[in-house]
Amino acid sequence: MDPLTSIAASGLQAHMDSLDIAANNAANTSTTGFKGDREFYSTYVAPELAGSADPIAGESPVVEQPWVDFSQGLLQPTGVSTDVALTGTGFFAVNGPSGPLYTRNGNFQISPAGVLITSDGYPVRLTNNQTLQTQSNSPLVIDPQGEITQDGADLGQLELVDFQNPKELNKMGLTYFSAGSPQAGPGPATSATVYQGKLEASNAGGAKGAVRLVTLMRQFDTLQRAIKIGNDMNRQAVEVVARVGS
Amino acid sequence: MIRALYSAASGMNAQEMNIDNIANNLANANTAGYKMRRAQFQDLMYQNMLQPGASAGQQTTVPAGLQLGLGTRAASNEVIFTQGNFTQTDNPLDLVIQGNGFFQIRRADGTLAYTRAGNFQLDRNGNMVTANGDTLEPQITIPSTAQSITIALDGTVSYTLPNQVSAQKAGQIQLALFQNPAGLNSLGNTLYQPTDASGDPQVGNPGGPEGNGTLMQGYTEQSNVSVVEEFVNLIQSQRAYEANSRVVKAADEMYQQVNQLSQ
Repeated sequence: MDPLTSIAASGLQAHMDSLDIAANNAANTSTTGFKGDREFYSTYVAPELAGSADPIAGESPVVEQPWVDFSQGLLQPTGVSTDVALTGTGFFAVNGPSGPLYTRNGNFQISPAGVLITSDGYPVRLTNNQTLQTQSNSPLVIDPQGEITQDGADLGQLELVDFQNPKELNKMGLTYFSAGSPQAGPGPATSATVYQGKLEASNAGGAKGAVRLVTLMRQFDTLQRAIKIGNDMNRQAVEVVARVGS
Repeated sequence: MIRALYSAASGMNAQEMNIDNIANNLANANTAGYKMRRAQFQDLMYQNMLQPGASAGQQTTVPAGLQLGLGTRAASNEVIFTQGNFTQTDNPLDLVIQGNGFFQIRRADGTLAYTRAGNFQLDRNGNMVTANGDTLEPQITIPSTAQSITIALDGTVSYTLPNQVSAQKAGQIQLALFQNPAGLNSLGNTLYQPTDASGDPQVGNPGGPEGNGTLMQGYTEQSNVSVVEEFVNLIQSQRAYEANSRVVKAADEMYQQVNQLSQ
């Protein structure tokens, strides 16, 4: 294949990955605490062509890595005392089935045993490796620092964590993140504020998503035309140029 | 590409469920004792396209993997037990609970169910029953000759008989409390059933230290559905549905272009 066709084909492939990401964002516009995905494009340089005289011929666009857009979602009031939302950077920590998980989804509940849990049943972590054990059925009061009181008695503080490099977080589905490597362990969140009775809406979708979709489709269109032009040029080379002396 | 189609389709499915939920809330905007439900969504599994640390060329490695999401799902639609507004009816058997408790109702099949709707009536035997004829537990009987019925804050039901000065006590209404009311199972007719998620009921007298609340006579609790909020949700949900259908269309068009490449 000539470089034009192969580069454009690589671009088509990358745009399909982009559409997958855009589709997942659009599907999750109602997911509490969801953070949208974006992607970086970069060029893949075929090793055998690296350093050759015509480097462009060996460069193909690929989606190198998606990055998670951790921008703030809107806070929506719910009036439920076990719903909490965060502003600023930081995450709630919960005890997942295989180690701690981190989430911005504060749709918590109290289990029959009186433990604060996520909607999937994972206990919410408090500072000092504790979990919350309620003393009665009275409503919880949670202050902006995450300090929880019930009937005036202090029950502990929500563990709020932050990461030096949020890129190290892996999405686990169900709005959970896990730390990519043990070295990327979390530190205490300094800029997070807890709001009780509110939930953080998804930050994906809306006008941004629609513009992204239109852009993707138009770029896809352009690449498809490039392939067509490449095909036409090849055909002309074969059919017209080769017709020497006829 | 097919991933994009199915992710967008999962978004459309989720929004359909959201609209079903909104429709039920709106339909029950005037149902006494009805508690709204709120749909919650979660993102699905992520497919790892590229492992972190994989080689991206001779000099470079991928610092973070390429993960593609596979859409959304409806996680739950939990019942929101915020207090509804009170309307005055002056009917002596209309009760509201100021607190988190539930009335206990003995159903026709003998099992107990729980409700916030306190619009009671008397059956032909003088028992306090719901609009469906299920009796209040513990059973409270008021004779047909009773002239005035008084229900105190603590649930004590008393009545006076003709030509008598002192009131007669008919019994005391008790309220049940749940650790996690959002985990209750709806039975229809504003009745709920306990589940493993809600925990077992803790029964006590109204006004007790458990916080199950006090009773107020002559009022009914309206549904806690906010029509304005539901309409806002409806608009959002409709737009989200539209956005997802656009993605389906975009995926279709891009696929079509791919198919035209060979022409």
